Amino acid sequence: MRTLTADDVVIGAALPGLTIDLTPTLVVSTALATMDFTPVHHDVEIARAQGSTDIFLNILTTMGLVERYVTDWTGPAALIRRIDVKLGVPAYAGDRLSLSGAVVGREEEGFRAEVRGRVSLGDHATAMVTFTLP
Amino acid sequence: MLKSQAAIAGIGATEFSKDSGRSELRLAAEAVFAALDDAGLDPAEVDGMVTFTQDANQEIAVAREIGAGELTFFSRVEYGGGAACGTVAHAAMAVATGMARTVVCYRAFNERSGRRFGQPDARLGGQPTSQGLEMSWHVPFGLMTPAAWVAMFARRYMHAYGVTSEDFGRVAVAMRRHAATNPAAWFHGRPLTLEEHQASRWIVEPLHLFDCCQESDGAVALVVTSAERARDLRRSPALITAAAQGSGEGQMMMTSYYRDDMSGLPEMSVVGRRLWEMSGLGPADVQTAILYDHFTPFVLAQLEELGFCGRGEAAGFVRDGGIELGGRLPVNPNGGQLGEAYIHGMNGIAEAVRQVRGTSANQVPGVRNVLVTAGTGVPTSGLVLSAG
Amino acid sequence: MTGATPGATPGPDPADDELRELAAKQAALGEVRGTPAADPVNAPMIRHWLDAMGDANPAYLDRGVAPPAMAQVWTMQGVRPRGKVSTPVDDVLAALEARGYTGVVATNCEQTYHRYARLGERLTPATRFAGLAGPKRTALGEGYFATWNVTWYADGDEPVAEMMFRVLKFRPRTRTGTAPAGRREPYPLRPAVNGDTAFFWEGVSRGELRVQSCADCGRLRHPPGPLCPHCRSADRSYVTASGEGTVYSYVVHHHPPVPGRRTPFVVAVVELPEGVRIVGNVVDCPPEDVRVGLPVRVTYRAMDDDLVLPQWTPREPR
Repeated sequence: MRTLTADDVVIGAALPGLTIDLTPTLVVSTALATMDFTPVHHDVEIARAQGSTDIFLNILTTMGLVERYVTDWTGPAALIRRIDVKLGVPAYAGDRLSLSGAVVGREEEGFRAEVRGRVSLGDHATAMVTFTLP
Repeated sequence: MLKSQAAIAGIGATEFSKDSGRSELRLAAEAVFAALDDAGLDPAEVDGMVTFTQDANQEIAVAREIGAGELTFFSRVEYGGGAACGTVAHAAMAVATGMARTVVCYRAFNERSGRRFGQPDARLGGQPTSQGLEMSWHVPFGLMTPAAWVAMFARRYMHAYGVTSEDFGRVAVAMRRHAATNPAAWFHGRPLTLEEHQASRWIVEPLHLFDCCQESDGAVALVVTSAERARDLRRSPALITAAAQGSGEGQMMMTSYYRDDMSGLPEMSVVGRRLWEMSGLGPADVQTAILYDHFTPFVLAQLEELGFCGRGEAAGFVRDGGIELGGRLPVNPNGGQLGEAYIHGMNGIAEAVRQVRGTSANQVPGVRNVLVTAGTGVPTSGLVLSAG
Repeated sequence: MTGATPGATPGPDPADDELRELAAKQAALGEVRGTPAADPVNAPMIRHWLDAMGDANPAYLDRGVAPPAMAQVWTMQGVRPRGKVSTPVDDVLAALEARGYTGVVATNCEQTYHRYARLGERLTPATRFAGLAGPKRTALGEGYFATWNVTWYADGDEPVAEMMFRVLKFRPRTRTGTAPAGRREPYPLRPAVNGDTAFFWEGVSRGELRVQSCADCGRLRHPPGPLCPHCRSADRSYVTASGEGTVYSYVVHHHPPVPGRRTPFVVAVVELPEGVRIVGNVVDCPPEDVRVGLPVRVTYRAMDDDLVLPQWTPREPR
């Protein structure tokens, strides 16, 4: 499997885009895999009763997908040090999550990549991911 | 004093079914004809009519249908099934005061094939009347069926006295056993076991399906006249030895959850006290009782409120066979509303008359006095009927 | 949600001081340990997580470590949380709820990973309340930002991961018209309201549980009415209940179906320490866990765009 080393990384380089279809299966299976049984993540009737249009991604999954987005690009040798996420609009089932990102700097603790996850309503997550590479 | 001034001289009913196939007005008229025939009176003699506020048939409509002439007394009694004995109380007062001479009490409905009381109605809390406002503390939370309102009492009663679902079940089993030998009962020939009761589905926990009475189409009518006149009519009279209505402090419609104690029926205590006072009798003087049984838990509470046993002792009373035919106090020999039919308590009054006459399908030996109660959890009423 | 960012500060309110006091008290508690994870870090849960995320990174299972973003997963409550240990955050959120800040939206989640957790390690969370900021005007409504930190310790006292978590608790605007969901289906079970009862429903929509009190003799009364039955006074006031209570009786409704409701649901008569009883639903709790005597705390649920109902959720006994 391809993996990057520190020498391969250019500050300012864009990460390849990733689009994830937010099927009900994805929303439900990730909620359960993250042990989050809050009904709004698997029960559409309750989600609607609470004012949502559908079930939506839980935060633990947003964190996981941001992590996956970066390591899909870096390959298995990267070590994730930090993920800071600013949460925006909900990511509803039936929508599509488009992830884009760029390496924005390198500091003592590692490289920093800015990641944006967009859905049809706007920014679902704006993240800064810090990672190191061999 | 009202004591023994009036009597029930005639009883009549339609068949009890799940789909009468006829209008409620026709059911009412048929039952009234049957009651007048039973008494040996002509419809033209009827000059008073009493029914439930909830009844859909106006007095004048029934009067037209049976060919009655002028009416000099008509009244309605409020509060659902709590009205049942109240209709007889009003009729007896009218007769005793000279307002009328021959008063018909009736209740007719297609409660199973038409509007079913057990179904939620979102409009219950809709209007800012006193009743709408009272309902508004409960209906928005989905607490809106009679079974649910009663279940709330049942849970507290269980908690207060260590009563179990099986204790409730024994009431249903006894009523179905009585109904099994009453040819007029819907559940004639169909007794129930405690196991079947326990296995029946939840309606509103802690109430199973068989804790709830059946739903019926049908009508019952009673003819009330003076005791003196009744003695000269076709059937032996059932004297109205006592009649009472009662509501308790802080009373609500099946949701009196805000009184100090929620494990009793204070309104039935009011009725019981008045009945014993007026009749000069006590619990030991009645040979059988008709206790309103739309839901099993309230049969237990009534035994306590009326003084047949102490607080919290009703479950033991029932467990020892106390309410069965041959027991200390045979309750609802006709099978009650759990077994015979749900005609809002009026079929129970007819059974009490049969017991006084000695003509019941499940006749209790040596009946001199019968106690009858009406709807529970609501402002209610009661009667003591006696042979005479 | 968009626009959940701090803005101008509205005018002073004595309730704000109480909230600030509570926040300071909870922050002073420092770090409070929670229940250790039910399971040690293990391959099946990692494999399941990777599968659900669509993460093909072989590094984790090859090296016997967990994906770092799974830190919180290990100590999540299950479907039926039992014996939940309270955190310093709970009281702050409940106090906000009680003051009408019933809406909630998470705004920030920042995780730092000191190292990857290894197979076999059992993580224990520890929570520290960090602070309360507000009231602020936001696009969602006026609200407070509550921030807390969680540290996950491996066996022994080694911190493996840390998280800063921030939520906005806000007073939902009625009829914003900007909510992405649009107007909600009207809830069919509406209360009738008149001049004698309006104060109660106004309170509920602000997250206050109001109990009628007689302005002359001081007696409390629920359900309310136009007069004081004790002294005949028509001069009515109300007190705001503490929001705590115990289940006095309850039912579980199964049949028949009820409009606007999913069965089974629980309705309870709740006894308040103020000396009155009130009916409401018990929520966030499996029906089989409800019992007479259960300590509960009020919570508020918007049934549609106009109607808020007070509901009850289990609390730790005092």
